[in-house]
Amino acid sequence: MAGLLDKRLWIVSGKGGVGKSTVAAALALASVRAGRRTLVCEVNTQERVSRFLELPEAGPEVKRLEENLWAVDVRPQESMREYGLMVLRFETLYKTVFENRLVRYFLRFIPSLQELVLLGKILFHLQEKLPDGRWKYETLVLDAPATGHAISFLSVPQVLLQTVPPGPMTREALKMRDLLVDPAVTAAVLVALPEEMPVNEALELHGALRDRVHIRTHAAVLNQAFPARFTEADLEALVDHPELLRVAQAHHDRASQAVLAGTKLERNLHAPVYTVPRLFVPRFGRDAVETVMGHLDALVTGGTGA
Amino acid sequence: MTALQAALASKRVLICVGSGGVGKTTVAATLALRAAVDGRPSIVCTIDPAKRLANALGLSGLGNAEAEVHASVLEPLGVKPKASLHAMMLDMKATWDDLITRVAPPEQRERIFANRFYQSLSTALAGSQEYIAMEKVWDLRRSSDYELVVLDTPPTAHALDFLDAPNRVLDFLDNEAAKWLLTPALKAGKVGLNLFNLGGSYVTRALSRFTGTEMLQELSSFMLTLSTMNEGFRERARGVRGLLEDKTTGFVLVTSPNPERLDEAIHFHKLLKQNRMEMTAIVVNRVHAVPTPAQWSDAATLTPTRRAKVEETLRELQVLAQQDLEGMAQLRAACPGTPLIQVPRFGLDVHDLTALWGTGRYLLGDDVLA
Repeated sequence: MAGLLDKRLWIVSGKGGVGKSTVAAALALASVRAGRRTLVCEVNTQERVSRFLELPEAGPEVKRLEENLWAVDVRPQESMREYGLMVLRFETLYKTVFENRLVRYFLRFIPSLQELVLLGKILFHLQEKLPDGRWKYETLVLDAPATGHAISFLSVPQVLLQTVPPGPMTREALKMRDLLVDPAVTAAVLVALPEEMPVNEALELHGALRDRVHIRTHAAVLNQAFPARFTEADLEALVDHPELLRVAQAHHDRASQAVLAGTKLERNLHAPVYTVPRLFVPRFGRDAVETVMGHLDALVTGGTGA
Repeated sequence: MTALQAALASKRVLICVGSGGVGKTTVAATLALRAAVDGRPSIVCTIDPAKRLANALGLSGLGNAEAEVHASVLEPLGVKPKASLHAMMLDMKATWDDLITRVAPPEQRERIFANRFYQSLSTALAGSQEYIAMEKVWDLRRSSDYELVVLDTPPTAHALDFLDAPNRVLDFLDNEAAKWLLTPALKAGKVGLNLFNLGGSYVTRALSRFTGTEMLQELSSFMLTLSTMNEGFRERARGVRGLLEDKTTGFVLVTSPNPERLDEAIHFHKLLKQNRMEMTAIVVNRVHAVPTPAQWSDAATLTPTRRAKVEETLRELQVLAQQDLEGMAQLRAACPGTPLIQVPRFGLDVHDLTALWGTGRYLLGDDVLA
């Protein structure tokens, strides 16, 4: 199994609340450890990756957080400005047009324009080069929005190509689509928890990415799984301790649920599933992210699933 | 009387808000269930329920229609509701289509449905899902006999999208830019325009360099088509806006106690307050109970291997419970004056009626987390 290091754009998505940002932070750290210049992109959100890594927030401009690690929170207004400047070339012209209140109103209603410029900025950074011709960022980790928003976000180029008359926007969209669908460049990592809805959403996301965006699922991460601890004999022995039995039974149920969820994901995604155990730490910081990274080693470097 | 008990007895609309994956759907369904049991005909509008919850509510295989949850479904709980309970699964696209069918002149409907800008308005425009969900609630509130409508909101990327949704739709129909662009064409009374009818300023020309000329023209044509039904739309959008601020509408903010969720909850709470909307309660879902001294001493009597396993589990729970306590304290400090209601983490996913009933006991204060 090829590892993520064979790709340059790592897209992390899944249901809200499953730990996408944790996984994105762990993958970014793994990329840095592999010696690659790495850029983490969050999309118009409260930044989490930098916080998990106990580093200062990046904000809307690309910022170097530490050796080989950069981050950016891609936001609509700044991205629109950069995109506008690229198309309209001159700052004064940009200002006249885009800082015109009426025009700003109008632009809000051009369908998908916001997503287009956000995605455009991200893919622009993916193609940036150093003066010596090497990639400026060898890995770009995209902490993508949750399921539904991720699908509409990533399918914007396709949707535009199908619905909008040819023009500057469609030319940009075509370039973006070609990058996204290239399996040599792009890999999707779907994150789920061992519960019904997150697993179903991962499967739904997998189908939508495949059919609507033509991105293949590279792997899934089953996050916060409870490892098996209590045997049936243990549970039987606890019948005279109802309070403890309840605790043990709950643990046992959640461990079984993790096994079932892993199997369901593997069968339906036809992609390897990497399990990250639930961590019990008072505060989720850099140490915790490094622990998670340890469980994702095979996903990053290749080889057999954990 | 707890805050939610009072709300269930007196409110006409309850809107459950919060980020994805915190149990909004469960809380919404539970509130409608309890209101019906207590004698107020209620409906819960959900967006995308877990399959088992949908089945439990008799929603499987249903589209965008109101369905009665039969009293027989509640029998195993030993509960006889005094009023009817309905549920519906909102289909965003179908709700938009219904709206157009109501508002648009018959001869224009097909043209609107076929327009690519309409298609993206109804599925992709930021805030359009939020808007249409609330428009549905407004409609139910006006035209039906339900005493209580509970809305389970779509997972918003941003709290602001939700509160801003009616404004965005009003803007779309009624903004100065559109008027400015469209006035010459409206005066000329024609739909097939060229760009120079659109106020042929250099701003328009520069804008078209950005979007392409055809794109700008198509969008203008679409706005022109919509402008013929502006009044109907505007009246409804104002109604929706009014509904959000109405005294009989309450917001129930659902969150889980982990730090990232709490940040969002606190942010949302602040926005609601700024917008002078009523925050009925904050429900903190899936709180871990602190292991009791009795559990620890009981564990000490087990055989060494089992004792080690049980104590390990209790230690883990202790860590989780401690985190939750800190989260609750943070939330209490950030949202003074808003009642906090804790619902414990149950063993497994909460997706059947028994579990809904259990959740309801905590929501309404029959049970309280120690």
